Amino acid sequence: MTTYSVPASGDPRRLLSDVRTLAHRVRLDQRVTWVALLVLAAVTFAAIPIDWYSLHADCGSASAWINNVDGSSTCHIRREGAMFYWPPALMLAYTAIAVYAVRVTRARGLGARVLPYALTGVALTVLFTAAWLLVRLYLANHPAPTDPFPDWVMLLDRLVAPAGTIGVALLVLARLERNVALLVFTLGYLVLVLVPINFFWRPNWGYAGILGEFLPQQIVNGVVLLLGAVGFAVARRRHR
Amino acid sequence: MTAEAETPDPHEPFAHPVTGLDEVVHQRVRLGILTIAHEARRVEFGYLRTHLELTAGNLSKHLSVLEAAGLIEVEKGYAGRRGRTWIMLTAAGNTALADEIGRLKQLIARVETTDPQEDR
Repeated sequence: MTTYSVPASGDPRRLLSDVRTLAHRVRLDQRVTWVALLVLAAVTFAAIPIDWYSLHADCGSASAWINNVDGSSTCHIRREGAMFYWPPALMLAYTAIAVYAVRVTRARGLGARVLPYALTGVALTVLFTAAWLLVRLYLANHPAPTDPFPDWVMLLDRLVAPAGTIGVALLVLARLERNVALLVFTLGYLVLVLVPINFFWRPNWGYAGILGEFLPQQIVNGVVLLLGAVGFAVARRRHR
Repeated sequence: MTAEAETPDPHEPFAHPVTGLDEVVHQRVRLGILTIAHEARRVEFGYLRTHLELTAGNLSKHLSVLEAAGLIEVEKGYAGRRGRTWIMLTAAGNTALADEIGRLKQLIARVETTDPQEDR
């Protein structure tokens, strides 16, 4: 009978446990979660005044009204300022996060994992911009729809909007960082983004309440990202 | 499943997972180096020394063994005036690490299925 022996230091359970502990330690040291959330919160908050000042509702000139099928008319609303703000702002944000991650992980003596996240963010920003351009091109040659869109269209619209793309990209970051807490946070954030909250909070702000339709959502998105940044920063400080 | 089906045939040679273990990789420190390099993509000498709690000389010896086996690449550079040594896993290193972890899992599974009382 042959007896195989494994030296005590090579106990397979202990070796595997060491491997898992070391891998976990490296992943913790590579994380830049709170910085990413902080940058995205800043970008979200900076969009609020831009939306406020660039929103244009032409209710004065009859030529600018949208004539509905039922004979009524609505003001022509444009949010071009926000649309010109978000693509470069998100590109800059993802670049800043990637540069920070590379520098900080290098200073810690490690390589960075964040590049696929930044590339996903940039790709989603391009997708969002392309979708916006396509809608603009379509509306230039077609009358504005008078019926409300189906729910799935509105859901897709929110998903490819800047706040939605931020959430989808964060899912990639959670996967790269093997960060369960970030995954849970992101799923909660995506629920907030995809389910409109102005159902119970619709302040009568600007242009006969038009701003009140989307500003609360933006404020909530920014606050959630900011709170996430603070939470992950505190958790990281406690871990060290 | 019957008891006979679980009993290995005494006439049939069987490969115990231990026989497949690579001596270069199956060592606590070197396995640690490969694990960290795999997770980190590239890792600095100082990080390995700190987290594996080794002296510089001891770590260098283990790195030499791994480099000679073609499992890691060592890159020397500078950060300002300070010299820095970066360690990266080669494709062979990735494979060796995956094989080692697979064999360790097989070993544990074998121990658990053949002698469950030992764990209690």
